[in-house]
Amino acid sequence: MQNHIQIAGKPEVFAKVNALRKGLMTCINYTKLMVSHVEIAKGLRLRCGRIHEVIGPGADMFAVLASAKRETDIIWIGLPQAIQTLCATGLEKYVSPDRFILVETVSRSEALWSAEHALRASGGYTVVVNLPNALTLEESRRFQLAAEKGGGIGLIPVQGTVKTSAAQTRWFCRPLADKTNAWEWTCIKGKNGEMGTWHVENQGGVNAASVVHLATATSA
Amino acid sequence: MPRVLSIWLPQLPLDRLVRKGDPRIDGAFATIVEDKNAWRITHTNAISKKAGIESGQSLADARAICPDLLTEPCDAVREEALLRTLWRWADVLSPQVALDTPDGLILNIDGCAHLFGGEEAMADYTITKLNDLRITSRIGIADTKLAARGLARFGAKSVNIAQNGQTVETVAKLPIAALGLSHAITTDLARTGITYIGQLNKQKSSELSRRFGLELTKTMSAISGQTPDPIIREIPDSVYAARMTLPDPIGLLEDIDQVLSRLASHVCNKLKNDNKGARQFNFTVRCVDTGDHTMTIGFAQPCLDSQSVIRQFNFPLSKLKIDYGADWFRLSAHYIEHIQFKQISMGERSSYNDNRYKIIDIIGNRVGFDRVRVFKPHDSFLPEYGYQQVEAAKQPELEWTNGERLRPIRLFNPPEYAKVETAGRPPKRFVWRDITFDTKITKGPERLTPRWFKDKDLRTRDYWIVQTEQGQRLWLLTYPGVSKKEWYVAGDFG
Repeated sequence: MQNHIQIAGKPEVFAKVNALRKGLMTCINYTKLMVSHVEIAKGLRLRCGRIHEVIGPGADMFAVLASAKRETDIIWIGLPQAIQTLCATGLEKYVSPDRFILVETVSRSEALWSAEHALRASGGYTVVVNLPNALTLEESRRFQLAAEKGGGIGLIPVQGTVKTSAAQTRWFCRPLADKTNAWEWTCIKGKNGEMGTWHVENQGGVNAASVVHLATATSA
Repeated sequence: MPRVLSIWLPQLPLDRLVRKGDPRIDGAFATIVEDKNAWRITHTNAISKKAGIESGQSLADARAICPDLLTEPCDAVREEALLRTLWRWADVLSPQVALDTPDGLILNIDGCAHLFGGEEAMADYTITKLNDLRITSRIGIADTKLAARGLARFGAKSVNIAQNGQTVETVAKLPIAALGLSHAITTDLARTGITYIGQLNKQKSSELSRRFGLELTKTMSAISGQTPDPIIREIPDSVYAARMTLPDPIGLLEDIDQVLSRLASHVCNKLKNDNKGARQFNFTVRCVDTGDHTMTIGFAQPCLDSQSVIRQFNFPLSKLKIDYGADWFRLSAHYIEHIQFKQISMGERSSYNDNRYKIIDIIGNRVGFDRVRVFKPHDSFLPEYGYQQVEAAKQPELEWTNGERLRPIRLFNPPEYAKVETAGRPPKRFVWRDITFDTKITKGPERLTPRWFKDKDLRTRDYWIVQTEQGQRLWLLTYPGVSKKEWYVAGDFG
């Protein structure tokens, strides 16, 4: 996101070069935004302008790794317990913490309101909403409409059981015991029928902020 | 030679109370100020003056002389506010008005006097107008600032004019105090028998400066206009506010939106003309039955866009209850900051920041700005102090530097208790959040000592990274050296 180009030399010459470069970078980034998918791993794509539900013990990690693949800010919304426990020094391994905007809400309705506005905003944000209970069909439909307008992506880690919703996909995520930094992600609902199970592994070393190398072991 | 008009407001603190309609003014009344642990009289009204009370007397003496005396402490802030209001009002006389704190104004009236029909007429006009405002004033007009000031304060009449070119002659009759010199020089001059300014004119300036210092001769040359002493015009601080009064009360939300949009466009245009932006807007709606309702919105970045102001007020307005309508509205901008205009289409960073501020504003105005936060790095080896969550609106841009140690993505503070099923170091089997975990691979311990100079909990901590059979990687915590071996879950690696 931060294209600070610094070239030593005559400032007036390089100011022009910089301006050109910046313009070019803007074009590139806009085209990136227009791509309607975010590819987390080979063959594992999440559609933008949609919301995706995540369940299971590795749900937070799915949200972190998916948002690391995008370049926009991450707006993480939730009740105080969900927001206050987020640890920047741990997240920095996957995503640069200065990309986070944390929204701590006192009630579920406030969280829903904030999430809807964040999804509708023009920045195309990755919006993560930690909710104690699953979205109802009506709530998820509203999210869906907002996400279509904003072009961002909504990731909803859900605790407990899920209900019928308007989400594009639903994922069951759990960490794998035999490897460190490896997860099994199963798509248990896909509106376009792209189901399957992926074994993903974070091969990026420590301090590899916003870069995640994932290897697909098996896909069904 | 420029012409200078000095307005002296000798009874400003009393006038302020008169304007307020204070009933005590009708009797013996004085304002007081605390000076070196003693209350002293500063200003007296006519009745108390007749009773023999003078400014500078101690309050105890004054009470002994006049037992009926009522007093009020001076309020320097309010008096200055009144003076500043008059300073803005003085625009009607001349475009160049300077403050002469604490109780005067100085105007450059070059080319202004003829508009009022001459200098005398102008002075009379000023006194009459100030009288209408219930403020006592005295006026001096001369060629120089100091002379006009001295004439206003020490002249015989309420209007004292030194004709053009005759300043030195007119000022000669004034006492030395009119020069406004320091107390030491004034008493020194009095000791040598010099009481009038005219007496100084006869002395050689070299001798005066040798005896009394350069301050005296400098003042003498300034009062006669030999050295320039310009009036430095100050521009009154702009008020970024607009109000609207309606003949009939209105109550429909759409109507109030209309009023707000007109006020907002006015205020924002004014801000835009001055290259300013405001971080807070207050909108006051005065209902005919329930009085004033003030709504406040904030911005993460100085704002001058009327559309966003209107948008942010939507929510507080929707919660406003109006039964019988409202007929008075005021929109004011606060926390004014200078803004630099920047190109918005080119450069990805600025548009990215604009979007970011916008969403912080939208959410912050609804859930509260203290609840929209960003991570701020903090230098500490203890996991819970390794970062902070700070208000996003106050610190919009922070650069993050990565740390060395491996930390979980969820950190529980305080740590959550884990029930040990099969003992071990770390336990082979434990229950956390009603789920049983079996330990598979462990890594640790990472021993951390508390900050003995700050923390209350002075137990040493041992952290273990535990890979469980169930898949989850947890961060277990125990306190070594404590007789009771208890285990806690301090974090979750996801």
